[in-house]
Amino acid sequence: MTGDTHYDLEILAELAEGLLDAATALQVREHLAICDPCGESLADLAAVREVLSATPTPAMPMGVALRIDRALAAEAESFRGGGVGLVEAPAWDDIMRDAPWETEPAPLPEPEPVTRLGVVGDDGTVVPVTPVRRRRTGARRRWALPAAAAGVAAAVIGATVVTTSMLSASGPGADPPMTLPLLAEGSKYQLTESNWNYTDQALRGSMLDYIGPMDATGTVRSSKLDQCVNRLTAEVGTAPFAVDQGFYNGQEANIMVFWHNQPKNQVLVHVVGPECDEVRKPGFARWK
Amino acid sequence: MNSPPEPPPAAEQQAARAVVSDADLLTRHIAGDPHAFSEIVKRHRDRMWAVALRTLGDPDEAADAVQDAFVSAYRKAESFRGEAAVTTWLHRIVVNACLDRMRRKSVRPVADDELIEAAERETPVPDQTAEREVSMEVSSALRLLPADQRAALVLVDMMGYSVEDAAHVLQVPSGTVKSRCARGRAKLVPILSHLRNRSDLSRVSSAKGAELRDG
Repeated sequence: MTGDTHYDLEILAELAEGLLDAATALQVREHLAICDPCGESLADLAAVREVLSATPTPAMPMGVALRIDRALAAEAESFRGGGVGLVEAPAWDDIMRDAPWETEPAPLPEPEPVTRLGVVGDDGTVVPVTPVRRRRTGARRRWALPAAAAGVAAAVIGATVVTTSMLSASGPGADPPMTLPLLAEGSKYQLTESNWNYTDQALRGSMLDYIGPMDATGTVRSSKLDQCVNRLTAEVGTAPFAVDQGFYNGQEANIMVFWHNQPKNQVLVHVVGPECDEVRKPGFARWK
Repeated sequence: MNSPPEPPPAAEQQAARAVVSDADLLTRHIAGDPHAFSEIVKRHRDRMWAVALRTLGDPDEAADAVQDAFVSAYRKAESFRGEAAVTTWLHRIVVNACLDRMRRKSVRPVADDELIEAAERETPVPDQTAEREVSMEVSSALRLLPADQRAALVLVDMMGYSVEDAAHVLQVPSGTVKSRCARGRAKLVPILSHLRNRSDLSRVSSAKGAELRDG
C-alpha cells in the first residue's frame, strides 16, 4: 500500500502490539518506510502511551481509607459468630497512624501451623478450621492485689491519657521489651480469669461487674503477660490495676483496666490479644 | 502481579513488617485474625484506588467501587485460589466492581464542571497545574472509550502492568488485552495528540516509531 492511501491508526496500533500476521506486518513496515504521515501516526500512538504512563496516580485520600475501614468493621460485626472476622476492624489505627506519638504497631503474630488455620479442600479452596484455644492452663492462676498497688495507680489521678502517652512513648522504632522500664516489683495488678466474652457494650459499662472483687488466691503469672502489661504500662503511663483473662467478641483477649480518674470512678480499658496486640480501640468505662 | 514499575510509597514504610506474605495474611484472615485483612488493605489500597479512579474517572464512583471491592474480598476470601497472586485477585475484584458500575451507569454524559471538580479533588496540590490539566484531560478522554478498552489501558499503560498480568486480572487471553489496548490507543490519538506538544515526548515516540518501522 503506497501512494496516497494510508493505514488507519488501528492497524498501526496492532502492528505496534505485534498482532498482525507476518505478511501484513511486513507490508505495513514497507509502507511506513516511505510514508511520513503514517510514521507520524505511529509516533502519535506511542505518545498516547507516554501520556498515559506519565499521568500521576494519586494516593487514596484519607477520607476514603477511613470509609473503607468503617465498612469493613461493619462487615466484621455482621459476621460475628461466623468463621471470618470476629472482631471489629481497628479504624483507629489509621486515624492515629501519622500521629507523632504513635509507636510502632505490635508485630503480627508468628505464623501458625497450617493445620490449625485451614485445610485445602478437594476443589482447592481453603476451608477454615475453628481456631483452637491456645492458652496454657499453667498461667491461669489468681493473684492477690497488695494494698500498695491501689496507691500506685491512684498517683496518676487527673493525668489525661493523651498527655501520659506522649510523655512515655519514646517514638517509633523503640523495642518495647528492651527499652521500656520494667514493671516495678511492687506494682502488682489483680489478675483474674473470668473467661467472660466481652462485647463493646460490656466494655463501656461497669468493669467490676465482670471482673469481680479482688480475691485472695494469688500466684505467679506468665512472663508473656507481664511483658505485655509492661508495654501497656509504658504506653498508657500508668500500670493497670486489674487484668482479666477472657474473650473479646469470641477471641481470646486480656482486658486491662487502668485508672483514669479514680474519684470519678473512671477507668481506661485496653483489650489485647494473646500476642499483646490491641484488638480494640482503648475506651473509657466505669469501675463500679 | 509482582512487578509494578513503581511500588506505592506506602510499600517502603511497610517493608519492615512486610515479612508476612499477602497469602499468609489472607489465610490468617480466614482463620479469624481480625488484623490480617486490614494489613492487606493498607498494603494495596493506593494501587486499588489508582485503578478505580482511572477506570471510572470519578472520585466518588471510585470510592464506592473500591469499598465494594474490599468488602467483597473480605467476604469471599475463602474462595481465593492459591494459583493467582493475592494482588491479582484483588485487582480483579476492583476492576470488576468498576466495570459493574460502568455497565449500570452506561454512557452517562459528564458535564465539564463535574470533570473539573473531580480533577480538583484528585490533585489538590495547587502548584501542579500542568499535571492536573493533563490528568483531567486523560480522565475525560478515557471516558470516551468502551469499558473493556479503558480497563485494559488503565492496567497496562497507566499502571504499568505487563500484558500477562493484565490478562490474569481481566481473565481474558493476552492477545485480547493487546488488541483492546491497540484499539483504545488508536481512539485516543486524536483526543490526546495536542498533549504531545507540551512535553518532550515527540522525540521519544519518534525513536519508538523508527524502531518499529525498521522491524
